[in-house]
Amino acid sequence: MSLTRIRLLVWKEFLQLRRDPLLLRLLLLMPIIQLVGFGYVVSVDVRNLPTAVVDLDQTVVSRQLESSFTASGYFLVVARPDAETQLTSLLDTGVAKVALVIPQGTQDLLARGQTAPVGIVVDGSDSQIASVGSGYAAQAIARFNASRTAAFTGSLQAPGIDARTRVVFNPTLDPINTMIPGLVAAILMISLMSIMSQAVVRERESGTLEQMFVTPIRPSEYLIGKVAPYALLAVAQLSVVAAIGMLWFKVPFNGSVWVVFVGLALFLLISVGLGLLVSLISRTRQQAQQALVFIMIPTMVLSGFIFPIESMPEAIQPLTYAVPLRYALTVLRGSFVKGSGFEALATPLWAMVGFAIVIFGAAVIATRRRIAE
Amino acid sequence: MTREGEVHGIPADPSAAISVRGLTKTFGNFTAVDGIDLDVPRGQVFGFLGPNGSGKTTTIRILTGTSAPRSGQALVLGEDVVAHPERVRPRIGYMSQKFALFEDLTVDENLRFYAGVYALDPAVFAARRRYILEMADLQGRERELTRNLSVGWRQRLALGAATIHEPDLLFLDEPTSGVDPVARRQFWDLLYELAGRGVTLFVTTHYMEEASHCHRLAFIYRGRIVAEGSPNEIRANLSTQRVYDVTVRDADLALGWLETADGIAEAYLSGAALHAVIDRGVDRGAGALRERLVAAGFADAVVVSVEPTIEDVFVNLVSREREA
Repeated sequence: MSLTRIRLLVWKEFLQLRRDPLLLRLLLLMPIIQLVGFGYVVSVDVRNLPTAVVDLDQTVVSRQLESSFTASGYFLVVARPDAETQLTSLLDTGVAKVALVIPQGTQDLLARGQTAPVGIVVDGSDSQIASVGSGYAAQAIARFNASRTAAFTGSLQAPGIDARTRVVFNPTLDPINTMIPGLVAAILMISLMSIMSQAVVRERESGTLEQMFVTPIRPSEYLIGKVAPYALLAVAQLSVVAAIGMLWFKVPFNGSVWVVFVGLALFLLISVGLGLLVSLISRTRQQAQQALVFIMIPTMVLSGFIFPIESMPEAIQPLTYAVPLRYALTVLRGSFVKGSGFEALATPLWAMVGFAIVIFGAAVIATRRRIAE
Repeated sequence: MTREGEVHGIPADPSAAISVRGLTKTFGNFTAVDGIDLDVPRGQVFGFLGPNGSGKTTTIRILTGTSAPRSGQALVLGEDVVAHPERVRPRIGYMSQKFALFEDLTVDENLRFYAGVYALDPAVFAARRRYILEMADLQGRERELTRNLSVGWRQRLALGAATIHEPDLLFLDEPTSGVDPVARRQFWDLLYELAGRGVTLFVTTHYMEEASHCHRLAFIYRGRIVAEGSPNEIRANLSTQRVYDVTVRDADLALGWLETADGIAEAYLSGAALHAVIDRGVDRGAGALRERLVAAGFADAVVVSVEPTIEDVFVNLVSREREA
């Protein structure tokens, strides 16, 4: 192996990258735009949910309860129907997404020290709103109960409101904190793989690959010369995207920088390797693109990036172990949110090392075979 | 040691530029190269002819060490190219019909890349660069992207890049396809210049008129060498037959008639005209053939006896091979 020739190949690759403004934009700008865009999509707080209040009690307590809802900022009262029967049409038409029903006699029950049931109806057609809405409703009621408990000082068993909600949700878990690290990994994977997948096949189409392999350039030199520039770019990309994730979206970082760095570095290497493999196996650029889609969709669906792995059917779950993004997500989320260290994340990290070895091994074999044909 | 390739009876010749014995390459059930023997003396322009898919490119791939044969022996510049491609590669050059330059690099950057690949030292590179720029008529255009050069210039630049390290042997795979006749002529002048300096040229082409530019020729058809020799020796293959050039307005119809007519060994399109091949034993001259054509309804037919071209020989060899 000759270092001079590898340097030459890297030099050539950088020259070509510089001449391809679209590619550079794709590499550096696209991840930023995607991160900011997706970041807002996942971070959009459900606020001002249109709410209908059916106050059948018409007492001080019922008005207090209502104001504890509106004070939170999550609910906006849009209608005050007189009877529960009118709710159906309000929810059907989408005028209201949430309804609060305070039955007659609520104040009396509470005054007698009994638990008073109230009804909360949530439009389940949008699962996001349903879960968030019911979660915030539970919070609002908890706040109401807390303020009443404070008023009944000394009493251990303060009477309160018993909210009956259908969906259980934990609103203290801020989705953005777990989404952004995963998003960083997914975006980098997409951009690196799509660029890498074109890298070799483009040279095959133009005939320069054939030309280079009748010179003293060896397959391993060619591969290193191909991967090195993109690996460097990946690191640049990673720094920019990670900085935006942490500074712009203020994602708290609890873990070790080294864990995240090692995890992401391994994952980027895998992405570059997968793209390279696709490029080596494909004969045309279109083939490479299709192969990419073929890999990308299961990766997104099965990695736990969109749907939690725990919620997948048991028969499907073993498949997720074949998706490298799964391990990257475990490492990133673990490190960012829980502050886990190397010991706790050893399994997914080693799994990624294994993937990297297998993928690059296959790339070397594919290069040899491709040349032989 | 007997190798299956020694059908010539003589072993491979290490002093030749290329010496091949019993070379075979298969892809699955398909035999692309079927036990060929070749000897290319040094300093010659060797034409390797054959239709598309006959095994020309596969043979070049084996000879440049980018593809491993299934069996047989291949000596290139005296080295076993199958076992030690790395010994051969610094001394050979390769240029394909694609003019495989990096289109998004400039003229100068392309040259610098290949100079670096062959580890030329700066003084040698400076001299070679000057020479190539002059040869390719690209002085003053060093900083242009090769993508913006027109075909003739790119072809000459590709030749320059492929020979920047002054190889002893240059492989040219259909170097002139898609190039206009004037540029093709100029390109052959450059090839002769290289040959004059002692470089061996191994050229594949399907332009038959280019075959006569070569010192020696080999025809490959369906993976087998069906004829080998100097252009004159090749033409002698047709010494028992005569070739007539037939010009007629309705060439398609006339071709159909000639193909089935008695005593016509072979008929095919040759440029705008038709060529009819007749065995000397049954040949009665151009006039007789014209009369038969007129009788068959081709009143405007003009028939002239011509010297067989390489293409005539080639068509003949192929049809003999098909019948075999």
